Amino acid sequence: MQDVVIKTVNLDKVYDMGKHKVTALDNVDIEIYRGEFLAIMGPSGSGKSTLMHILGCLDTPSGGDYILEDHKVSKLKKRQLAAVRNQKIGFVFQTFNLLPHLNILKNVELPLMYSGISPAKRKERATYILEQVGLGDRLRHKPSELSGGQRQRVAIARAIVNEPAIILADEPTGNLDTNSGSDILNIFSELHDKGNTVIMVTHDPRVAGKANRIIHIIDGKITDGDIA
Amino acid sequence: MAISLKESVIVGLSDLWSRKVRTIVTVLGIALGTMSIIVVLSLIKGVNKTTEQWLQERGGATKLSVHRNGEYSKPHHERRHFDFKELRLIQSLIPEVEYFNPSSNQWTSHRAYYNGNEYWPQTVGVFPDFANIEEWSVSKGRFISDFDLDAYNDVIVIGSTAKTKLFGNEDPIGKYIYVMDRKFQVIGVMKRRYMKARSEIGDDNALEYLNSYCFVPLSTVLKKISNDERIQTFDVKVRYVSEVIPLKEKLEAILLNLRHGHPIFVVESTKEEIERSMQDTIIFKAIFFIISGISLLVGGIVITNIMLATIQERTREIGIRMATGARRFDIFIQFLVQTVLTTFFGGIFGVVLGISILDKVAAFINMEVVIDVNLIITATIISISVGLIFGIYPAVNASNLDPVKALRYE
Repeated sequence: MQDVVIKTVNLDKVYDMGKHKVTALDNVDIEIYRGEFLAIMGPSGSGKSTLMHILGCLDTPSGGDYILEDHKVSKLKKRQLAAVRNQKIGFVFQTFNLLPHLNILKNVELPLMYSGISPAKRKERATYILEQVGLGDRLRHKPSELSGGQRQRVAIARAIVNEPAIILADEPTGNLDTNSGSDILNIFSELHDKGNTVIMVTHDPRVAGKANRIIHIIDGKITDGDIA
Repeated sequence: MAISLKESVIVGLSDLWSRKVRTIVTVLGIALGTMSIIVVLSLIKGVNKTTEQWLQERGGATKLSVHRNGEYSKPHHERRHFDFKELRLIQSLIPEVEYFNPSSNQWTSHRAYYNGNEYWPQTVGVFPDFANIEEWSVSKGRFISDFDLDAYNDVIVIGSTAKTKLFGNEDPIGKYIYVMDRKFQVIGVMKRRYMKARSEIGDDNALEYLNSYCFVPLSTVLKKISNDERIQTFDVKVRYVSEVIPLKEKLEAILLNLRHGHPIFVVESTKEEIERSMQDTIIFKAIFFIISGISLLVGGIVITNIMLATIQERTREIGIRMATGARRFDIFIQFLVQTVLTTFFGGIFGVVLGISILDKVAAFINMEVVIDVNLIITATIISISVGLIFGIYPAVNASNLDPVKALRYE
């Protein structure tokens, strides 16, 4: 019996555009197991980003339920959602989304700061994680002083520094050249091998090939749930 | 779970540091507002102090004066002065007063001479209480006593300027001078009165006129010198300010009775004079308050604007912070702290600026200024409040951003 980390039931997301309504997600039912490496694929406008935002607790569904580790997060208040984002979810974005005026150590410390961890401890923890992704010698560098691949590694370090239940990656290789892209994918594979749950949105079949399961989403609907 | 205030201050300081020019401009705006508050409050304090000091020099808040009523023009046959018996009667009717002093006409100078020296002092007939009411004493010898009054003694107490003009360095006590063609023995010299004048026109001593006065027993003046010397004024002094108004009403009633209902005399209190002068400065104060208020308001609006612009520029950062777990309150505090820090620095800078230009402003408009610690604290608190008030709206705006939209913001 596999441990279900994420379960959605009849998940809907409808954007009210005034005159007409746009359905971004339509009755999405998914189950994601602990330790899975899942790729979500779909063309642009298919609703995969919306699904990602809801799974990442950045957005709330219009209908249905989202259960993360036995908690019904679709019913949580904004303040509680912030705590979930901080503790349970690690985000990796296509555009890295690092704070440009902070050095990478401070960037990685951010989630720890919002968990109320003392400055000394978070420095120690962030330094350790940055060493793990091979940036131990760049702690005081600003993101602008790093290459795209290095920046994405900083973003991954930030995502995993709080030991979240799931790691969500939204086209993490989309802005990278092939070499750095495979570096990053290898890091995700390593994270998966260490037992982390990784959910990655992509439209690149090669990237999806690293995953052990792929689900396709078209027009807000899940079309299949193959196990790769 | 929440990020601590100390943490917010550190984040705020580094944010401000990363936008130096913008920070300096904002700090300057608030500094100018605070500076004007410091200057205005100091000026107002200075004016109040000068007025108070002046009135204190004139006998303090417990003094009442009775004068001829110059505005009363209806025809009547009442006497316009007091005779000695009347004064004694009035005195017996107001036993609650501490001091009582009628004065003879003060407005004429009489020639006085000693040993070839000549001077024209204003010589006034008084009661012994005069010195007590004016809170003025002799520097040498003694003042007029009840014995002098009862015995019609030909004694005189001279002012410090009169002493210098007539005697130079000579000791005047016991010497005889001629005033109003009569020989008086000098029994005392009054202390020199001094108060720095507000105006540079003329003498720098606002009280110099008092130093030319000479004082003789009122009884002597009435009996021996000038039968027609009229007493049109007397002063009384009570112990407590609370007694002033009741006594004023009582005196007015007595005086009306003595003159068959004609208001020949008016009673004026220093207390009311103080209140009147405070009233006079109220418009002056209000205008200055409005001006410095407006300058702070402008500073505040500038801050709101700059913070709104800053937040718009940093929308994506706010999204990133939210994605990594910042609560709305964390974002709110982050920006509010930045605004308050800005106005706090502005406030401190403004206080320093204000104090440093105070002397020059005071010299320029020729007024006294008073600066105290309370004022500095008030100005600093006001500037911090401006930060709080004008920082709330941008901070709320920032904290209400939608994480998804904020992350997508380009």
